[in-house]
Amino acid sequence: MEVKAELVGSVWKITSKPGDQVAEDDVLMILESMKMEIPVTAPKPGRVKEIRVKETDVVKEGQVLVVLE
Amino acid sequence: MADEYKSRVTDLHARRKKNLGMGGAQRIAKQHEKGKLTVRERIDLLFDKGTFVELGLLAEQQPIRGIEPSPDGSPADGVVTGHGEIDGRQVWVIAYDFTVMAGSMGAVGEQFKAARVRELALRYRKPIVWLLDSAGARIQEASGSTFAGTGWLFYDQVVMSGVIPQVAAMLGPCAAGTAYIPGLADFVPMVKETSSMSLGGARLVKAATGEDVTDHDMGGSQVHCYESGVGDNEVDDDAACIASVRRFLSYLPSNNSEPPPRMPSDDPPDRLVDGLEKIVPSNPRAAYDVKRVIKSVFDQDSWFEVKPTWAKNIVIGFARAGGHPVGVVANQPMSKGGILDSDSADKAARFIRMCDAFNVPLVYLMDVPGFLVGSQVEKEGIIRHGAKMLYATSEATVPKITVIMRKAYGAGYYVMCGKGYGPDVVVAWPFAEISVMGPEGAVNIIFNKQIEASSNPEETRSSKPAPKRSIARGASTATSRYETRRQPPGHTPGGALPPPGDLPLANAPRSNEFARIESARQPSLLRP
Repeated sequence: MEVKAELVGSVWKITSKPGDQVAEDDVLMILESMKMEIPVTAPKPGRVKEIRVKETDVVKEGQVLVVLE
Repeated sequence: MADEYKSRVTDLHARRKKNLGMGGAQRIAKQHEKGKLTVRERIDLLFDKGTFVELGLLAEQQPIRGIEPSPDGSPADGVVTGHGEIDGRQVWVIAYDFTVMAGSMGAVGEQFKAARVRELALRYRKPIVWLLDSAGARIQEASGSTFAGTGWLFYDQVVMSGVIPQVAAMLGPCAAGTAYIPGLADFVPMVKETSSMSLGGARLVKAATGEDVTDHDMGGSQVHCYESGVGDNEVDDDAACIASVRRFLSYLPSNNSEPPPRMPSDDPPDRLVDGLEKIVPSNPRAAYDVKRVIKSVFDQDSWFEVKPTWAKNIVIGFARAGGHPVGVVANQPMSKGGILDSDSADKAARFIRMCDAFNVPLVYLMDVPGFLVGSQVEKEGIIRHGAKMLYATSEATVPKITVIMRKAYGAGYYVMCGKGYGPDVVVAWPFAEISVMGPEGAVNIIFNKQIEASSNPEETRSSKPAPKRSIARGASTATSRYETRRQPPGHTPGGALPPPGDLPLANAPRSNEFARIESARQPSLLRP
């Protein structure tokens, strides 16, 4: 399952790593946009398979950030 | 003579019994198999026990243009109509019966029954509820020149809009033109899995464009309550759907000339709200769930959220304050940082206009970093959507209360009923920041030259002050104490509550000029 950016912004802090078990609503990373910290959360429980961005990357709306399985 | 009378009465009873049996045992079983209730079970749930009065039970399909009616008949012509009571107040209903010709809208059911209910609901100024489970127009009865004369349905809905509350409960399919019924309604709950709506049903879509899609994939609640925003609340089943209709109507008056009903509340209006400072972080960048603020500030268990799953960066819904219904518009930092975008402005604008129409005071809980900027949102027309919210907030003449919880930046401050938009009172919490933009952005622009010329730009930037003087300049009319009580300033805590008509909330003074403009806006109720 792909977790996408809900708006344009930059990656401020990545708080999960591949292999992590996550529950629904767990914070995977925090984006920054319009001076706001925007948590990216897991829509469903799962395991982090891949993180496709690194801190300070600029991301577009709809861009895949994390892949869960 | 007596015998003839008796036989007629017997015949009447037999026809009544047959029509109360809807489409027959087999079709009823099929309806239940799909997890749906029958139209009459739904009506039982909708109205207070024993209050339903049915009109037009004996209606049947009539021969039209030489086409003989179905030999099985069409009990009630596929639509049950009448009125009943919800919490003791009269409400009218048009309920389609899927067990009779797939709930299709026939000539008798539509032109004589449904049209009559719309007319009477408007005449008596009572809310109207559609229970929708219908394949759409009965084509054999609606095609040709008959079609040209129809369309009153939506015209009537537009005339009723803002005069009486309209609810379209989606309990099954709602295809083709009938999909405009929810489009024009004030509240649209949708049952998960079984309900759908689309301007063209799957078969029509296939024929018209070649696209292969099912009714559910095209227009189920997963589309309309999450992506399109046409549906309001996704609910699990028919019973939950009807419960949500009753709940929704409990916050609204029967019509636009009455105040919304006040409920007794045993939640003390001067209750100290503990822990708000723990919910709202002082760091202006940090996220939190604004629904926790709403639930703790308003009367216990009074919060009823509308459109909870679409455009989640703004939260709208009804709550009660001291038993008095209010419409809440709150930024949601938990989603997209509470930044406003096209959908959230659209969502809020429509809700504000509904509250304004039905005399429901508005409470804006503001914590907004502004409108989203950038090329993507400009393509969406964010200026056009944002303008809808500016318009709705400006034209609303119900009492408006603005609470600045934290950030109040840019045009977000305007649309959330900032000082210029006629709020009756603006309350600012201790961390409130009112500005055209955040301090960091402002420092970058105001001290641009100094920062660029500096050998250490970071140090120069952080040495510049970010002014916080809006309260002193009168941008907000009051600052709450650190301890937060529920009552607005000026209230006597613990004092006896005035009767509803004397509530300061309901009777905020308006200038005569506003009243004159507002009365000129009342729609004409006469057909041309």
